[in-house]
Amino acid sequence: MAHLRESTDKALKLLRTLPRVQIGNLRPNPNSKQNDKRGRAQHGGDKHGAGNKGSGQRQNFMRLGYETGNQPFYLRFPYEPYYKGHHMRREYPPISMLQLQVLIDTNRIDISQPIDIATLCNSGLMTLKPAELQYGFQLTDEGLDNFKAKINIEVQHASEAVIAAVERNGGVIRTAYYDPRSLHILSNPKKWFEKGVPIPLRMLPPQDAVEYYTDAKNRGYLANPEEISKERLVLAQKYGYELPRIEDDPNYEMLTAAKDPRQLFHGLEPGWLINLVDKTIVKLKTT
Amino acid sequence: MNKITCAFISVLQHSNKSYGSATLLGRQLSYKSDLSLDKIYPNARLKLYTPPPPPGSGDKFNGYIPMDKLEISYSRSSGPGGQHVNTSNTKVDVRFKLSEAHWIPEKTREKLLKALANKLNKEGYYFIKSDLTRSQQMNLADALEKLRTLIRAQELDEPTAPSEETVEKLRRRQEKAARERLQQKRSRSQTKQDRQA
Repeated sequence: MAHLRESTDKALKLLRTLPRVQIGNLRPNPNSKQNDKRGRAQHGGDKHGAGNKGSGQRQNFMRLGYETGNQPFYLRFPYEPYYKGHHMRREYPPISMLQLQVLIDTNRIDISQPIDIATLCNSGLMTLKPAELQYGFQLTDEGLDNFKAKINIEVQHASEAVIAAVERNGGVIRTAYYDPRSLHILSNPKKWFEKGVPIPLRMLPPQDAVEYYTDAKNRGYLANPEEISKERLVLAQKYGYELPRIEDDPNYEMLTAAKDPRQLFHGLEPGWLINLVDKTIVKLKTT
Repeated sequence: MNKITCAFISVLQHSNKSYGSATLLGRQLSYKSDLSLDKIYPNARLKLYTPPPPPGSGDKFNGYIPMDKLEISYSRSSGPGGQHVNTSNTKVDVRFKLSEAHWIPEKTREKLLKALANKLNKEGYYFIKSDLTRSQQMNLADALEKLRTLIRAQELDEPTAPSEETVEKLRRRQEKAARERLQQKRSRSQTKQDRQA
């Protein structure tokens, strides 16, 4: 281990420069010697460490936190539960359907490939800050009446009306969870690949999110695909459109391309090391 | 690795696919982890498909409305809203000929014809309008919801006569009430008599 070698070298270097070990240079290990002072005679006795007069010597101490009359610090601030659990609340910055349509129309996003967080962040117009508890994007329903694009999109939250708007145009929408480390990687993939770290596994959602992502109604990535197919028909009937036959679409393969629950990037497996300079992929040897 | 596999791999490398799966000799080559969907749902159809509409089960309306049988038109909504309400067609008008609506079971259709006889237009069309929300899509959903509620209202069972137990219970209640009322009346009368000279 490099760490052990370095510390041994340092110790030997020290030994060369320090003076010879003598009784005067030594010190016992901390907390190995107990104080032998008894409560008698000049130094240990007399006041017994209680000082002179006052509540201290009379053993009538003020209670802990008392500030001799003024409102103590621990009583100054009432309980305000505004921020209770704020460090665990997930945020999903919104993208409206209108914004998405504009991005598609101005060729900022390529719809011939599946769209996910990485695509949206690489367009340069969306930023994700995982450090500020932003757990991905949500698709909002502003402009859904005029949405006309056939896309395969993966977001972190979408309402029913939005799902209907995407599916009525022949597209596919999924909601997937990414843990904070994966989000950090996806928000700037190029910068992360330059680090030279193998792609990690994506973690499963926390308990309060599992129900959402295993529900076919929300098109969750952990939901039963057969139920999702059925829910597509249900939604088509609810919102009053003819469900387009996705099997007859020439882009069927692209539209149904979905990542594995443990996968971060399409086409790349966890454990692979991407070398951007030499344009190679280093894979784990399976023994 | 045999020559066929090598050929397939070279074809794959030259293809422009960067997503999801690829097939080699008929097998899926996508990454499958310990938590892939085929392990969580082993017996499910993993590929997305369009299920056929549910079959009509005789008398009951199953909720399925074929969209091509309805005539849907959009127009501008009324009410306040400024430029948005003036320029966007958010009002939805859903029309269909009631006598030819074979997606409604026969019995229910006949009941509907009777109930809505005064509401059909000259050609026999029934229409539902909705301008509930700001969105065309949501208004269409609202119109269809109204239609389904209308059809289902005709299928509700007629109110049955109360059971023998209920009738007996009510009779006893009424008798007890009458008894108490007369008792109070008699007691009041006695009090009044006692006050007389």
